[in-house]
Amino acid sequence: MRTADRIGAAILLVVAVAYTATAAGRYTYWTATGPGSGFFPFWLGLVLAALSALLLVSAARRPEPGPAWLPTGRGAVRLVVVVAVTAAFIALLPVLGMVLGTGLFLGVLLRMLEGHSWRATLGVAVGAAAANWALFVLWLKVPFPVGVLGF
Amino acid sequence: MDLFSNLTLGFTIAFTPFNLLMAFLGVILGTLIGALPGIGPVSGVALLLPITFGMHPTSGIIMLAALYAGSMYGGTITSVLINTPGESASVVTCIDGYQMALQGRAGPALGMAAFGSFIAGTVGVVFLMGMSPLLARWALSFGPAETFALMLLGLTTVTGLTGDNAVKGYISMVLGLMMSMVGFDIISGDQRYTGGITEMLDGFDFLPVAIGLFGMGEVLAGAEDASRAEILSARYGLRDVLPTAADWMRSRWAIVRGTVLGFVIGVLPGAGPTIASFLAYTVEKKVSARPEEFGRGAIEGVAAPESANNAASAGAMVPMLTLGIPGSATTAVMLGGLMMWGIRPGPLLFEKNPDFVWGLIASLYIANVMLLILNIAFIPAFVRALRIPYSILMPLIIVFCITGAYSLNNKVWDVGQMLVFGVVGYAMKKLDYSPAAMTLALVLGPLAERSLRQALIISDAGILILFQRPIAAVLTTLALIAVAVPAARALRAATIARSAKSRRAPA
Repeated sequence: MRTADRIGAAILLVVAVAYTATAAGRYTYWTATGPGSGFFPFWLGLVLAALSALLLVSAARRPEPGPAWLPTGRGAVRLVVVVAVTAAFIALLPVLGMVLGTGLFLGVLLRMLEGHSWRATLGVAVGAAAANWALFVLWLKVPFPVGVLGF
Repeated sequence: MDLFSNLTLGFTIAFTPFNLLMAFLGVILGTLIGALPGIGPVSGVALLLPITFGMHPTSGIIMLAALYAGSMYGGTITSVLINTPGESASVVTCIDGYQMALQGRAGPALGMAAFGSFIAGTVGVVFLMGMSPLLARWALSFGPAETFALMLLGLTTVTGLTGDNAVKGYISMVLGLMMSMVGFDIISGDQRYTGGITEMLDGFDFLPVAIGLFGMGEVLAGAEDASRAEILSARYGLRDVLPTAADWMRSRWAIVRGTVLGFVIGVLPGAGPTIASFLAYTVEKKVSARPEEFGRGAIEGVAAPESANNAASAGAMVPMLTLGIPGSATTAVMLGGLMMWGIRPGPLLFEKNPDFVWGLIASLYIANVMLLILNIAFIPAFVRALRIPYSILMPLIIVFCITGAYSLNNKVWDVGQMLVFGVVGYAMKKLDYSPAAMTLALVLGPLAERSLRQALIISDAGILILFQRPIAAVLTTLALIAVAVPAARALRAATIARSAKSRRAPA
């Protein structure tokens, strides 16, 4: 985790400096009546800069590399697949619509990733898509995105 | 209005069929969410927030509060039967609860936990009812300086107590505050940090962020791991679950101590049910005449932490309702919900929305009765639910995260934001940062900034106004202590480590 902390602290330090610079450059620090829109962000950025510098120093000083935090092997593959399939589902929402999209999403994950039988996959996918629709559209009156197929 | 008429008003509201149904739904879902490992009360509340938007806020908070109480009961089931905590406030219950289960006493362990939870939960609501109006009246006199000092205290204490790494806790908190600055500044009308993106004009929406950090984040952490634990089989007939007279004799003081300790810890900002349960277990082991039995199936080791976490979940509602400062991660998400419903928590809540407050309080009594019945008579049903494989549950929870994030504004943008914060939440959890502190800061940020700016406008001594007024001075000092103590401890640890290293180094 030492390397992760160093990288994290460095990124945070850059964010902090940019944040304070933006506050100082683009927003008003002080007005005639009192603090302006730049006042609070200006100090927030400085506090974050101090904290990330502290993290950077303490991570550099820690002797051992520390335990790994990123998953490896099968765990990593599963994680990437889940995030990728979810991202694809969200990106395709306007095309597929919520109901069909939900069914397909569940089908892909249950069958391809988890290896459930076709029967279990179909049952859960169709049931959950219908229940989700009933809860949000029928009861809560949320207009779901409608796909090219019209539902 | 006195207490009696307030309570009558509360029960009239709580006993309407719809509110009873919502309380029932809350306790069932709460027990399930508490029992299922990998999804705890924070994500439960975040996931169910979208459903509450069509409702009256009172019905909404009734469901969420019942869910919170239910999750404290449900966590026990998994701790005792699988030796895996269903949520973090039941971690210590594993120690003696699982030992009891191995000895064939899973029934009494669950039964005693349910009774302890009921007693503590109910007494906790009595304390909540007695204490909140007093605290609210006291807080009525707060000006901007006091409000900011209070926010500062809430932010520093929550951050100091979450996670193992205080620096990362504070980083998470400051990031949350920075995120809360995005969008229109109400006082000046400036657009801040929007990057020219239209969707960012309103800032980060609380709901997609909370669903992402907690719901999606927890699912991703669980998705990595495909293994499953075995459930111990046991008998859960009514007769098997009821604790014996000897169990009661051993547990009664543990329940009393757990209740009082739990409530006090719950009220303190930052220290929620999890810390309460750990402390209650430690105290019980210290005062016990048979400390050697702890860890080998002592029933006090189940009764004390389970009482404490229920009392703490009631206690955590006190600062949320009266001061607008949440006492735990779950109440931080609830607070965000309250604001989205258009309810301003704080001292005025008791005067402006008596139906909301007293309906909630009355419902908590009812929810605890429901939970006692459920957790004594229907344990087998919940155990069966535990057998639903996570591989089916995980995709379903993701669907719920997506639909929930979409339902607020009907925008796919929000869903994308949810997924991004899901990945962020996953990484934060893995790297010891604190999603809870970030959420809390996101909720409190706008009010903290406004009160600080107002305080500085009326001040003739700059930032020193925080020390000029007595209440503000006390709160600010406490906040500084909350920062200084972990800092001093870390410094000492570093010094000791360095001197040990130099001693070991060859001359």
